[in-house]
Amino acid sequence: MTIVAHLPQRALTLTEEESAAPPAMELTGRRRASPEERALSETIFAEFHADPRYHEFVLGCLNCGECTTGCPAARFYDFSPREMLQIAETGDATTLWDALQEKIWACCQCYTCNMRCRFGNDIAGIISVMRELSVSHGVASTRKTLAPFGRSLTLLMTVGTQVSSDMIQPDFFRDWGPFATGSDRAWGVGADIMRRAIPSDVLQTTRSSWEVSVQTSLELFRIYEETGVLDMLRGLDPDLTEMLIDIIEERREEFEEARERFRTELEGMSGPVATFRG
Amino acid sequence: MLSANEIRKVVQERNQHQKGTGKKVVDVREEMERLEAAGEIVIHRIRPENRPVEVSTLFGWKKRIPTDRLWHHKSCGQCGNIPGYPSSLLWLMNETGRTYLNEPHQTSCTAWNYHGTATSNPVALAAVAARNFHRAFETGHFPLIHCGTSYGDYKEMRKLLVENATVRAKVRDVLGKMGRELVLPEEIVHYSEWVHVMAPEILARQKHRVEGVVATVHEPCHYYKMVPEDAVYDESIYAGQRPAVPSGILMALGAKVADYSTWYDCCGFGFRHILSEREFSRSFANLRKIRPMVEEAHADVAITSDTGCVTTLDKSQWIGKAHGLPYMLPVLSDVQFAALTMGAHPYKIAQVHWHAASAEALMTKMGIDWKTAKAEFREYLQALKNGQAPELLHPAHGEIETFFAINKGQVLPDEAPAAPAGAGGRSR
Repeated sequence: MTIVAHLPQRALTLTEEESAAPPAMELTGRRRASPEERALSETIFAEFHADPRYHEFVLGCLNCGECTTGCPAARFYDFSPREMLQIAETGDATTLWDALQEKIWACCQCYTCNMRCRFGNDIAGIISVMRELSVSHGVASTRKTLAPFGRSLTLLMTVGTQVSSDMIQPDFFRDWGPFATGSDRAWGVGADIMRRAIPSDVLQTTRSSWEVSVQTSLELFRIYEETGVLDMLRGLDPDLTEMLIDIIEERREEFEEARERFRTELEGMSGPVATFRG
Repeated sequence: MLSANEIRKVVQERNQHQKGTGKKVVDVREEMERLEAAGEIVIHRIRPENRPVEVSTLFGWKKRIPTDRLWHHKSCGQCGNIPGYPSSLLWLMNETGRTYLNEPHQTSCTAWNYHGTATSNPVALAAVAARNFHRAFETGHFPLIHCGTSYGDYKEMRKLLVENATVRAKVRDVLGKMGRELVLPEEIVHYSEWVHVMAPEILARQKHRVEGVVATVHEPCHYYKMVPEDAVYDESIYAGQRPAVPSGILMALGAKVADYSTWYDCCGFGFRHILSEREFSRSFANLRKIRPMVEEAHADVAITSDTGCVTTLDKSQWIGKAHGLPYMLPVLSDVQFAALTMGAHPYKIAQVHWHAASAEALMTKMGIDWKTAKAEFREYLQALKNGQAPELLHPAHGEIETFFAINKGQVLPDEAPAAPAGAGGRSR
């Protein structure tokens, strides 16, 4: 008797319900999505294909693999730009959904694949579209992946720079060694003095990459408000978004107070400095 | 690895394919002229006072690199983490008599965040680019982009704003709400292109000879893989098969530029990875870049021309000791290296102490008395701690600029009467 005879019998024809339900675990190893996740995956799939960039970025694939040959992420992750392009071309929402869980975040955005592609596919770009949708819909795995970015997002949204020297803390960047932060360990003075030793006043801050004027940061925030970035961020982290709005409100008040304080100096000036209201 | 000829072939094949899709590679500058004539945009033109120098790009198109009256578009990663990078550039400009503005009225391009977390979108990126472009325009200074990613992003955004009327209209609307106009620069210029065309002037001021120095070059991906047609190539550098920057300045200074098998690879920065998944960044940097540079090319120094590349290649090395990769190859930007050869103070100007891999052995090879300089710097730090005003490369900004986007406080270095009270002397 063969082993096959001992296996449980399974109907050859599935019921409608069985046909609709994805298997608990497929051969690819992907897990079964909940009904809510399936609904969200359908929404994201529809938005993905409706994005105007889709037809600009996805132009066809010869399966040549040139993209993957040069891909840095492909050397260390279960990831290949060729697969990502084919996922972009798939008509299956679940396949796209699965890629959103982890694969999209392996990409280094170096554009090596784009440069090598004979078809001119913008693979890095189409991955960015996938990422944007994951963010704006607050996909749970994306929220988890981006959880460490609260500090840098706060900085970026409020003053428009990605890092500050006080973010490069030895405890968090232990693998960079004792000297990489240019701090007191090597020189016997604090981080503030190390920054004062940079020969440009604009750079002598520990709280940002450089000092950013209040008007500049308010203009940036206006851009975020007007272009849907704040709405995207709400999908990712509503609490962080509200906190950012509070910070900016305070800066707006500070700006208006300064307008009164420097009224004499500002008189007669033209352009944005005269017209912009936070 | 693709040589420039192979890249040209790829682009030709791509054009054949894209005839069917209506897409083709065009010189975006020609369309900008049409848009300006139609009143849709204003072109920020390079003027004679910008003292431009002409170079060639991938397809032999001409690009003018302004060398004077420049608006520094700083890099957030450089300023926050490796500040000797921008300070060396400012110092080079002072030494070569170039004028500039280095203001607090600039945001980053925000593209590090976009490529890392995708919490933005192309309209926002284009608006950020256009805001900075307009700010440079209203000061009368031409933007000089310090970061490779900002340079790549701004090339993409300029192209997007030229090709997409919907995005253009939206961005114009957003800018209008802050009293700004849609201005696009005639050229998007990376600082390494400025260094490249300034090579004769830098060479004329060289104090330390570097013939004995073996340098390996890491070519930043976002310099030449994003909008490749804008990158500078030169027939006399790698026979025009690789970008001319930053190899050109090293060759001009006399360093031996050595080849290695993975020159085409990225550095491992990854945007998201360098902050939250450095296992990847450091593995890639050590195994795919630093090891071949040392074992194949026997490099004394790795030179690159972008924020993320210096950061990743330099700061990933210390932990390599735990994995039997104890290289600690110094990693510097082209401007830091050029400034050092011109006699810049290694600590006050090149700020080499922010780097993880020590540059001391390299400086010894270059004939730089770094021990004396280090002692001076230690004394200087103590003086700062005791309240001495810092030495500055340009006059300090006034308090009003903490709030408003004006340049009332800062004057151009060539117009500066004397350092204002509270600001120390010029730094050398």
